[in-house]
Amino acid sequence: MSPQLLALAVVGVVVLAAACLELVRARRARLKTLGAIAAPASDPYILYFTGEGCTVCRTHQEPALAKLGAVRIDKVDAVADRTLADRFHVYTLPTTVVMTPEGRALHVNYGYATAPKLERQLAEARTGAGLEAVTA
Amino acid sequence: MATQVVDHSALKVNQTGIVATVLVAFIGSAFYRPALLLIPLLAIVLLAGTFAPQYALFKQLYFKVLKPRGIVKPRPVQDRPEPHNFAQGLGGVFLAVASAFLLPVPVIGLALALLVAVLAFVNLAFGYCLGCQIYFQLGKRGLIRAS
Repeated sequence: MSPQLLALAVVGVVVLAAACLELVRARRARLKTLGAIAAPASDPYILYFTGEGCTVCRTHQEPALAKLGAVRIDKVDAVADRTLADRFHVYTLPTTVVMTPEGRALHVNYGYATAPKLERQLAEARTGAGLEAVTA
Repeated sequence: MATQVVDHSALKVNQTGIVATVLVAFIGSAFYRPALLLIPLLAIVLLAGTFAPQYALFKQLYFKVLKPRGIVKPRPVQDRPEPHNFAQGLGGVFLAVASAFLLPVPVIGLALALLVAVLAFVNLAFGYCLGCQIYFQLGKRGLIRAS
């Protein structure tokens, strides 16, 4: 086998392993975060974690949040408000957390979340669908 | 945390240059072994560009040729240049290590170089900069002075 093919195989394995580890980490962080508690409100709302150097926040996430209309969005500087960011295991920006009116985290999106996805999650937060899984 | 304006097009051109050079070296070396010389050369270019921006070959190509001729449009973003410089330096270090392995154990040398190219591609395509993450984590732990 040529060194090129062998190197390609090695890199493939490394990349695959890194992707699997990242998937596991994201899943564990999401599971830990679901059910975390913040301030209650009259309607579902979104905690939007962002930061100064986050380009995707400005170019993608904020336009998507603007499309949601009259939804309360609590913008949180993940660097300045480390306590809240740590509670929701925010290591990726942007991160959006869809909160139920009771102040319970229903969905956590690490990375850019599209407007339709957030709308779907907000609808679930309004109807209480999926809440059993979170509180269980 | 002071932000400046960083032209992200310059970063993209740099990442494209890294990916292209490693790929040429990687594929070229299968037919013409001296093509591997591109890897130590790229390491020198990246390390030199980290400490003296005027020697950052791909960024200079962007600022002196591609941008003035309108081939690549500028994309100024409020950002900090330090994490990107750190990531570039880290890429340079990995390529330097890869260069040291190229003759005795070509598989390790090629794999390390290819890994740098994969990470540059991930940054180029998805905007995820692993070197920047490492910079922030080291800064958080007080291991480097992340201004």
